[in-house]
Amino acid sequence: MAKGEYLGEFEQIVLLALLRLSDAPYGASIRAEIESITGRSSAIGAVHATLERLERKGLVSSWIGAPTAERGGKAKRHFKIEAAGVAALRQARTTLERLHAGLSLYTRFA
Amino acid sequence: MTPPFLPRALVAAVAPPADYESIAGDLREEYAARAASMGRALADRWYWSQALRSLPGLLSYSRSRHNAGANAAAVAVVAGAFLAMLLCKAGIDEAIGTVYRAEGAGLWPYFVADWIDAAFFGALLALIFRSESVRLTFIVSLVFVGGFVIAILLGLMAPLHAVAWILLLGAIPAMTFGAVAYHVVRRR
Repeated sequence: MAKGEYLGEFEQIVLLALLRLSDAPYGASIRAEIESITGRSSAIGAVHATLERLERKGLVSSWIGAPTAERGGKAKRHFKIEAAGVAALRQARTTLERLHAGLSLYTRFA
Repeated sequence: MTPPFLPRALVAAVAPPADYESIAGDLREEYAARAASMGRALADRWYWSQALRSLPGLLSYSRSRHNAGANAAAVAVVAGAFLAMLLCKAGIDEAIGTVYRAEGAGLWPYFVADWIDAAFFGALLALIFRSESVRLTFIVSLVFVGGFVIAILLGLMAPLHAVAWILLLGAIPAMTFGAVAYHVVRRR
């Protein structure tokens, strides 16, 4: 895997939140999911910037929904994780598990 | 219920055009929910916090790369405005006194003309930076030169005291205003 293809921590969080949400996820619902699961209050700008970067890498895709009154007549951009996104997540997890394997880190610093 | 104007304008000014609608809509949706459950004051505070914390992400947005010029121009012009205000601060009393002491038509027409010039060129710059022209740098250079030459000529034509001439640099905030106003109006 080339250097630019590794997933950053927040990219993994966003992809996992996307996987957890089944009903056409969009910026606000992804942000809320991240906050409810991790307790981390992320900025909507950071979420959108990350999603756009993931889309450029071909890991997610997006489409524009219909405008709604509750959003001041503004449309949602819905996101969907692609097979490449799932593969990248799996790869990231495998890499971390390999690094963790056999470490006595936890016993040494317990 | 509408979120506060200033953070909305901030988001409008920095968000990439292609995704402004979805970003502003997400903020608005959550703002309305928070205002209903927590009250407007807390919802306003949340909106401000989101707008400010979103700045780094929105500015680094790769879709906005073609807008990098507009962002850079806005930052440069705002920084210039602060510098001009600092320069003016030292001799502001003297400058104002000079303006009021001027005879004949006075200096106000020059000031007004300078501000109009700056606002016009500010809006023009914002317009040009938003397009993806191949000859962008050349055109922008011409606009910059045009805007500043007119401002300097106005300064030279006016029978100004040196400090009052520096005050003409107050037109730089007008250029910022022109550029920001253009961004905001285009997003509405």
